[in-house]
Amino acid sequence: MLNGKLIGRRIAVTLGLALFASNALAQTAYRIQVDGLACPFCAYGIEKKLGAIAGVARVETDIAAGTVTATMADGATMDEASATRAVQEAGFSLRGFEALGQAAANGAGAGAK
Amino acid sequence: MRAVIATGLAALCLAGATAWGAPITFNTALPVHQGGWVLREQVIYRKIADDATAARRDLRLAGVVSVLGYGVSRDLAVFGLLPWFDRRLELRSAGQNLERGTQGFGDLSLMARYTAYERNSPGRTLRVAPFLVVKAPTGSDEARDRLARLPPSLQPGSGAWDLLAGAVSTWQTLDFQLDGQLSYRTNGEANGFRAGDVVRFDGSLQYRLWPRRLAGGVPAFVYGVLEANLIHAARDRVGVTRDLNSGGTTLFVSPGLQYVTRKWIVEAGVQIPLLQDLNGTALGYDFGLSAGFRVNF
Repeated sequence: MLNGKLIGRRIAVTLGLALFASNALAQTAYRIQVDGLACPFCAYGIEKKLGAIAGVARVETDIAAGTVTATMADGATMDEASATRAVQEAGFSLRGFEALGQAAANGAGAGAK
Repeated sequence: MRAVIATGLAALCLAGATAWGAPITFNTALPVHQGGWVLREQVIYRKIADDATAARRDLRLAGVVSVLGYGVSRDLAVFGLLPWFDRRLELRSAGQNLERGTQGFGDLSLMARYTAYERNSPGRTLRVAPFLVVKAPTGSDEARDRLARLPPSLQPGSGAWDLLAGAVSTWQTLDFQLDGQLSYRTNGEANGFRAGDVVRFDGSLQYRLWPRRLAGGVPAFVYGVLEANLIHAARDRVGVTRDLNSGGTTLFVSPGLQYVTRKWIVEAGVQIPLLQDLNGTALGYDFGLSAGFRVNF
């Protein structure tokens, strides 16, 4: 009886961890370094353009660092060509494009979409 | 006098695809991204009453200037500008005080701006954009009051097609922004009257006052703004005769404030004539006020 309860708990914990892990791993984020970004009014255009890329769930800009972090929906990815095009259409230049780990993806704050 | 008024209004309206902030007294540097829109509304008031003659002319203009811009491509943006003004002129004539004036929509201006040079680096950008403006005679130029047909300086529209060409340059960093603009405006003839051509140089400094230090995210900025408009207007022509009491050179300075967020900006400024070298008895500016907002969408 005791063994049965223990096994049940272990199964529940394992399932929970598996579910959490699959969710976390499926959500990818990208840090995009943007040249030319220098005022809040400018940030709107780039957030709008990046937010329009298929699969982007959240966009967050750090104007002082000149970076935009795009967090994707589960399973979605972004290629550098799409990011470059969005940045250029917003009137800026792409300096860097980097995929982030799950911690950064889950840690992104409230941004525009 | 028409050229003087046109000069002052041009200082507000069009003496002005990409992304940067923008001055208060000219529109050419308004930022708009590809496929995006920007709407600017400005409420303005001008008092033009520096009159040394016995007529003691006192001209007051109050109105709203609407500007709508669209980013056709990364580099090309188009704008439409439509003013609405109430113009009132008080003067003494034959021992009596007279008031003349009217109100209505002025002429529609269409502008195209192309960013010809751009250099971006982290937290800063340099851009140079030539622009061309066509002003169509959409406003009424036949308005009358109880006395007679109003003079050109009081008509809502000029009745003429005007052309304006120039270039605007912007240097923007996270701490400040500098804009400089050079333009030339040639005015058409209507009803036997032609306002003098206008050449002008505009400069604008927008300095971030708050927040003093940038942390993460996109905080709203408060910019202190200091602008200067150096404007030279040639004499008006009536028929084949030059109006010796029109045109001249004026230097305005315009301190102001802007509150800048991602989606909108509110701004206000006062325009003060620092130097006025006007021809004959052309009316001089006392001051101007403007306040308004811009929205990105």
